[in-house]
Amino acid sequence: MSNITQNPRGNCALGGVNAVLSAVDRVVPIYHSGPGCCMQTTAGEAGQAGGRMPFYVSSVSTPCTNMLERDVVFGGTDRLRETIKGAVEIMEADAYFVLSGCTAGIIGDDINSVTEEFRKKNLPVYPIETPGFLGESYRGYEIAFTAFLKHIVKPADRQKNLVNLLGIMPYHDPFWEGNFEELTRILEKLGLRVNTFFTRHQGIKDIRDSSAASLNIIISPWLLKSAAKEYLESYGIPCLRWPGLPIGASDTSAFIRAVGKALSIEKQAESVIKNEEDYVYSYLETAIGSLSWKQFAVVGDANTVVGVTRFLANDYSFTPVVSIITDPVFRPEDIERIKEQLRSLDYARPPKIVFETDQWKIQKELESHEEITLLIGSTNEREFAMQQGIQCNVITYPITDRLIFNRTYAGYRGSLTFVEDLYDNL
Amino acid sequence: MATEKQENLTGNGVQILPKQETNTGDRYSGIRESRPFTYSDCGGNSVQLAGEFRKRCLKMADRSFSQGLQCQQINSMSALMSMDDSVFIVHSPQGCAGCSSMASDLYRVGQAHRGVRFIKNVKLIVTNLDERDIVHGGENKLKEAILLAYSRYSPKLIFIFTSCASGIIGDDVDSIAAEVQKQISSIIVPIHCEGFKSKIAASGYDTAFISIRRYILGNQKVPKEAGLINLFAPTTVSYKDQLEIERMLSLIGLHANYFPFYSSLEKIKKITAAEASTAICKVFADEFMKELENDYGIPFAHTVMPIGMRNTDTWFRGVAALAGKAKEAEDYIAKEHQRIIPLIESIRRRLENKRVFICGGTGRSFAAAALIDDFGMKLVGLETPTFDDDAQKDIEYLNGIHGDYVIDIANMQPFEQINLVKKLKPDVFIGVPAWSARLGIPTTHVLDMKRPTMGYDGLVYLGNKIANQIENPGFNVKLAAHARLPYKESWYKDDAFKFIKSFGQ
Repeated sequence: MSNITQNPRGNCALGGVNAVLSAVDRVVPIYHSGPGCCMQTTAGEAGQAGGRMPFYVSSVSTPCTNMLERDVVFGGTDRLRETIKGAVEIMEADAYFVLSGCTAGIIGDDINSVTEEFRKKNLPVYPIETPGFLGESYRGYEIAFTAFLKHIVKPADRQKNLVNLLGIMPYHDPFWEGNFEELTRILEKLGLRVNTFFTRHQGIKDIRDSSAASLNIIISPWLLKSAAKEYLESYGIPCLRWPGLPIGASDTSAFIRAVGKALSIEKQAESVIKNEEDYVYSYLETAIGSLSWKQFAVVGDANTVVGVTRFLANDYSFTPVVSIITDPVFRPEDIERIKEQLRSLDYARPPKIVFETDQWKIQKELESHEEITLLIGSTNEREFAMQQGIQCNVITYPITDRLIFNRTYAGYRGSLTFVEDLYDNL
Repeated sequence: MATEKQENLTGNGVQILPKQETNTGDRYSGIRESRPFTYSDCGGNSVQLAGEFRKRCLKMADRSFSQGLQCQQINSMSALMSMDDSVFIVHSPQGCAGCSSMASDLYRVGQAHRGVRFIKNVKLIVTNLDERDIVHGGENKLKEAILLAYSRYSPKLIFIFTSCASGIIGDDVDSIAAEVQKQISSIIVPIHCEGFKSKIAASGYDTAFISIRRYILGNQKVPKEAGLINLFAPTTVSYKDQLEIERMLSLIGLHANYFPFYSSLEKIKKITAAEASTAICKVFADEFMKELENDYGIPFAHTVMPIGMRNTDTWFRGVAALAGKAKEAEDYIAKEHQRIIPLIESIRRRLENKRVFICGGTGRSFAAAALIDDFGMKLVGLETPTFDDDAQKDIEYLNGIHGDYVIDIANMQPFEQINLVKKLKPDVFIGVPAWSARLGIPTTHVLDMKRPTMGYDGLVYLGNKIANQIENPGFNVKLAAHARLPYKESWYKDDAFKFIKSFGQ
């Protein structure tokens, strides 16, 4: 069930699927939808994720049937067939995914049979039924993985040192590339090879062979539950769920230990930890007292809120006041998992924990805490911070006022960047 | 400045009131395709196309393959989302609020440029239609959303934007609005901007203005304000441009009711108090200004975007004629020409005979095409969304200067653009640079929502910008060696217009 929401922090299911596909190398989505969906979904996801456009096909370069009134009345499958034909003829891709929007979904156009005609001719054209009204962006993220598992992933021989690193959603986490890159860097130091599907030109082949992995690492307290189950049941891949973005020495080292234990490479893990912690603290040692003490609030996706709250409280001795999770988390066990992460702090008193997506209510919640001196959130939080005259760091979706390439706050190195960015000299 | 016609209307204090509106009557529906001889899909040689259009034998066509368009809902929303005293309800699944990212950013930046200290967010509420609503209808959610908007902000205006989903499931948005209107003091303005109704995004402007007229202006009678002119501008016009245009108007004794960017109910209500109207975009408010003339007796100057010497002259002369200040305008134009011509002479030396490909919305594409003439550049390709009687005038004018060039009537369609640009190899591409830049071609744009492009000084700014980007193309050249465009090599050799299929007459 979807609620009426002010200033929503997400797009629709279609937008979520598209955000995922536009991060995979050499993939062309084909929209069977109304005339604005390509632009709306790209503007809604990539357009609010740090000022960039997807590298291959997005927005108005996405093939689209642009369904008008006549298609609503007479159906649009002929038009879809022509559009796929054109896309396959002129565009280079390892896979074409036909995505249905609300219009196609409501009138019931059968995208499965139309795409089947092309697959019979050995063309890699796959259907994903994802009318926007199915839900929000994260629903689209889950739908995309379900489609990968259904159409792309094929059995492959187990590779001992291969892991799939999942749970960080492209664009919806504006720092997705940097986050993947830093965590990949650390995992590679353990001697692992890492599938992210989305970075370093990974593509359909990496998704197809992801069944060979020895471990699925899901960086998220709540996403990809069904994909993890499918990987386990069909390919015997166990899952390590890490319930938040590891930021800073404490959480990243704990994360590495957990991976080391799952893959029985504890010794390598300890050596990496020693090395990396030394790197981090050799810098932190040079900026003691550079940042004044802050009482902070965090507003954003579950991964970032957990990661930031724990890092600033546990490793930086800032005081958490309130942590607001804006994801539409619905399973009670997931909510509990997030709360547990925010309650189990080393020394600090836990913050108030709130689950809320509506901007008006978020603002009301913030207003009820007089003692906040640092607000970490999205571009939407600037309004409150300006009114209160407090420091504001914009690091969660939606972000429309900064450009982000490979910046990261994750892992060891990211935590140093985070502290750099928190420095305000005021 | 009142014209004879206007005096007849207002001299004795009696105004001709707008006709009672019906959905079916003879009023313009807001859908641009409903206007005769309007084409969204064609391409070819400019002289040939203009000839066929003149003889009324250009065939209607459609693309059998196309890329995504901009829907009219995006334009309706972007036109109004900077209204300060308003809440915006999008009656749709959450995705249809995606485009608000651009409008929100423009609203924030617009406040910063205007010196607002505490920058506000756009207040946007989405009804978030889901599967259950698709089956059972979303009317209750809409009602709830309106009441929520009212209880949170008591805004002066509540705009409702419909969507494909709300339209197809048949939610009766007007009835809901009328019902809730009895309970609250905010004026509720439903805008019927379902994307599937039109292929031409500019329809969204018309649809928004139709609702403003119907729900706000109505039959209101307000006294005329001497020297007041409506200045309609899309939100893509920068604050610097607004100031320059307002300054020019002040030279002929006019002050502007600038609308709709960063506007308010008060400014809407002032629309009918104006003595005249003008716009600084061809397709923004052109239909609305006709209505204002018919229904409220407010004359208007035909619109061009005042970019480049010719368009700036034309626009200013048009407004001055309305104000009865033709002589003052000519004096000013002469003075400005004297000042500007030496400045652009040096730019002209850098740009003369450079070959240009232009792509833009209707207003900017033709404005850019007129602009390049100031610098002696040569048009080789023009991509613009709509071919109609108005476009024909510009195309014939351009044909007179440049002779043959390629026209692509397309709302973006980057696959055709990249095919043409690669074949034509222009010295510079003017438009959204995302694709041509990856071919290594110098790119620039006359659309700069945060900086000045209009009026005589805008000309110097744009000229330097174009010249500098042609002379220093390093970024694009180096990028091209690494860029990933999604098209097959074979496509670049194919006919760019092969997917445009004409049907009957």
